Amino acid sequence: MIKKRYIHICFFALISTAMVSSCSSNSDSPGNEYMPDMYRSPAIEAYVDYGEIRGRENTDVKSKVSARQTPKYTIPYYGVNKKEVELMLPNKRKAGMTWRESHGLYGWDLDTESGYENARMDTINPLTMTAQNAKTILKEGKRLYESMCTHCHGEKGDGNGTMIQSGAYGDLGVVPAYKNLDTLSEGKIFYSIYYGKGYMGAHGSLLDKKEIWTLVHYVRQFQRDGYGNFEEKDESDSKTTDSK
Amino acid sequence: MKIPVFQRVVQVLLSVRVMLFISLMLLCGASIAQGEGLFKAKCATCHAVFKNGTGPKLYEARKRWEDAGEGDLIYEWVRNNAALRASGKSVRALEVFQEYNGSVMSAFGDLTNDQISSILDWVDSQDPNASAGGGNVAQATSSDMSVEEEESIPWIWIVMGIMFSIIIMAVGGVRRELKIATKESDKGSEGLTYIDEFKVWAWKYRLYVGLTTLVLVLSLIVGFFQTLYSVNIVEAYQPSQPIAFPHDVHAGVNGIDCKYCHNSVTKSKSAGLPTVNVCMNCHKKINGEGEEYQGEIAKIYAAAGWDPSRGPSGAYTNQTEPIVWNKVHNLPDHVYFNHSQHVVVGGLDCKQCHGDMAKLNETAKVQPYQELNKIEENIESKIEFDRATMTMGWCIQCHEQSSVNITDGKSGYYTEIHERLKENDYNLLTKYNEDGRVSVSELGGWECSKCHY
Repeated sequence: MIKKRYIHICFFALISTAMVSSCSSNSDSPGNEYMPDMYRSPAIEAYVDYGEIRGRENTDVKSKVSARQTPKYTIPYYGVNKKEVELMLPNKRKAGMTWRESHGLYGWDLDTESGYENARMDTINPLTMTAQNAKTILKEGKRLYESMCTHCHGEKGDGNGTMIQSGAYGDLGVVPAYKNLDTLSEGKIFYSIYYGKGYMGAHGSLLDKKEIWTLVHYVRQFQRDGYGNFEEKDESDSKTTDSK
Repeated sequence: MKIPVFQRVVQVLLSVRVMLFISLMLLCGASIAQGEGLFKAKCATCHAVFKNGTGPKLYEARKRWEDAGEGDLIYEWVRNNAALRASGKSVRALEVFQEYNGSVMSAFGDLTNDQISSILDWVDSQDPNASAGGGNVAQATSSDMSVEEEESIPWIWIVMGIMFSIIIMAVGGVRRELKIATKESDKGSEGLTYIDEFKVWAWKYRLYVGLTTLVLVLSLIVGFFQTLYSVNIVEAYQPSQPIAFPHDVHAGVNGIDCKYCHNSVTKSKSAGLPTVNVCMNCHKKINGEGEEYQGEIAKIYAAAGWDPSRGPSGAYTNQTEPIVWNKVHNLPDHVYFNHSQHVVVGGLDCKQCHGDMAKLNETAKVQPYQELNKIEENIESKIEFDRATMTMGWCIQCHEQSSVNITDGKSGYYTEIHERLKENDYNLLTKYNEDGRVSVSELGGWECSKCHY
C-alpha cells in the first residue's frame, strides 16, 4: 500500500511541476529576448531606462523621471518665414505672480501684475486670417479643438463636454459656453489657453503658440456667426470690444 | 404592514417638499432661471456652488456678507471689487482678498442689483445634499478596478514544489529505514545497490514508470518549443506602473481624446507621456471618490507639488517629485518607428495598433493580435493579423494588407508619390493598381531601409 501511494505522489508532483513550468507568466517581465542589449542599447531612446545595460548597474543614468516639460526659453525650429518664426517667440504678456500658486507656473517668467487685464489690448490675432488661408486654419483648428478642448468645452463650444456629462467634476462649477464670453479680446483668449484661467490649467506645454492662435480663430466661430466665412462679406469682423 | 406606512410618510414628506418648491418657484421662478444663466456665463469660470475653487463657493455667500454686517456691499463687490477695496468702507472685502492671496476678481460693471441677487437666489436654491452624488457615474463604472499582486504566485508554487519533494524524500527515507530494520528477515533484497533496487522497482511498476517518463519527455519537448516560440513575443507584457491609471475611465467614460495626453504623437517619433501638469488640468478639481482613488490621485498631487489643504482651495507648493512610468511598447534599437508618420500621414487611429484602451480597465499593456482583429477600423480596412503584436511579421502584415488612397489629395506625401509615378513610370502605377488598390508595401513599406538603418 505504501508503495502505491508513493507512486501517486510522484505522479502528482511531476504533473504539478510540469504545469507550473508551463504557465509561469509574469506580466512585469517582457519575456525572453533575442538580444537584450539591442532593446536597451546605449543609444538613447525615449522613456527607456538605461540604469541597467548588459547586467551592469549604472545608477547615474537610472531613470528618475519619465516626462519633462521643455527647457525654459525653448523655441522650436519653425522654418525661415519671419512672420511664422515671430509667432514662436516668448509671449509678451506674462502671467501674474498669483499664477504660481494657482496654476503651478513656478520657474516661468512672471510679472508683478497680471498680464490678463493688459491682454484686453491685444485685439489682433497675429495669425492673420485671409480668404486664402481661412479654410486651412479652421480645418487645423477643428482638429486641435477636437483633441484638446472637446472633452470639457463640448463639440459645439457650449461648455457641455463629455467630462461634464459623465459627472466627473461633480458640483464643481460648469464650463462656460463660448457664446457668453464673446466680449473677450483675442489676447485674453490666448492668455487663458496659454497660462490657464480659473479652473482651466495652463496649456502652454501642450500647444505651441501658432496652434493656440489657430484655436483662438476656431473658438471665435462659436461666438460670431459667419466668422471666417469670406464668401459672403469681404472683411471679417475682427474688431473686438472688451468690457471686462 | 410597516412598509406601506413608511412609504406613505415618505410620500407625504415628498409632496410637502414639492409643494414648497413649486411655491418658491412661482415666487421667484423667473429670476432664478435668469440667475442660473448668469451664473454659468459669468461666475462658473472661477466659482463653484458648494466648493471653494479659484474663488470662494457662492452657496450662502450673501449670508456670509450679511453676517459680517455688509450685506449691501456684496453688489458693489461684484461690480467693481478693486474700487470697493480702495474705498476702505468694507472690512470683509479686504479679508476675502487676503484669504485668496490677492488674486483679483474680474469686474462685472454691467450687472444690476437685480441680476446679482438673481444669481445669489439661484445659488442658494441649490440643494447641498443632492450635489454629494456628483461624480457617481465615474465611480460606478470603475469601482471594480483592482490592482492584483500577481507576482507572489509563482513563488508559492516553487515553495510548494520544494515541500513536495521533501515529503517524497522523507517517505522514501522512512521506507529505506524500514527495509534496513527488516533486512535479516528479507533475504531477497540483501546486497542490492540503490540502482539495482531501482531497476527491480521500475520493472515491477513498468506501466507507471513508462507513463511518467513519457509525460516528462513530452513536457520537456513542448516546453522547449514553447520557450523558443516565446522569444521576443511581448503580448503578455503589462508592466506595473507607479500609478494605477485606468484608461477606460479617462478615454471611455470621460471621453478624453488619446492625443490630449499623448500629445506629441502628431509631431514626433514617440507618442509621449503626459507631464504631470497635464494630469493637473483636470485633477486639480477631481480628487477621487473613495479611498482607493484618493490614494492614487494623491500620488499625482505629490508629483505636481499640489497641496489641496493649503489656502482656501489648494495651492501649488513647488515641492515636486518625478514620476517614472514603465515603457510598455519597446522596440529594439535597430528598428525605427515613427508615430507621427502613421497617425498624421497614414491617418491611423490609435486603437488599430494599441487596442481599444477606452475599454481596458487596467494599466496599459501590449494587446494580443486577436484583440486587434476585433477593432472596427481594422475590419473596415481589411486588416487581419495572425502574427504576434510588436513582431516584425506583424508590421509587415499590416503594410501589405492596408491600402492607401493616393488620389484623394488628403496627404501631401502620397499626392507627391502619385504625381511622380504618373510622370515617371506610368506602367508601374498601373501594375500597382492591378488588384484595385495600392498597398503600403508597394509604396516602399517593405523596403528594408525604411525601418532598419
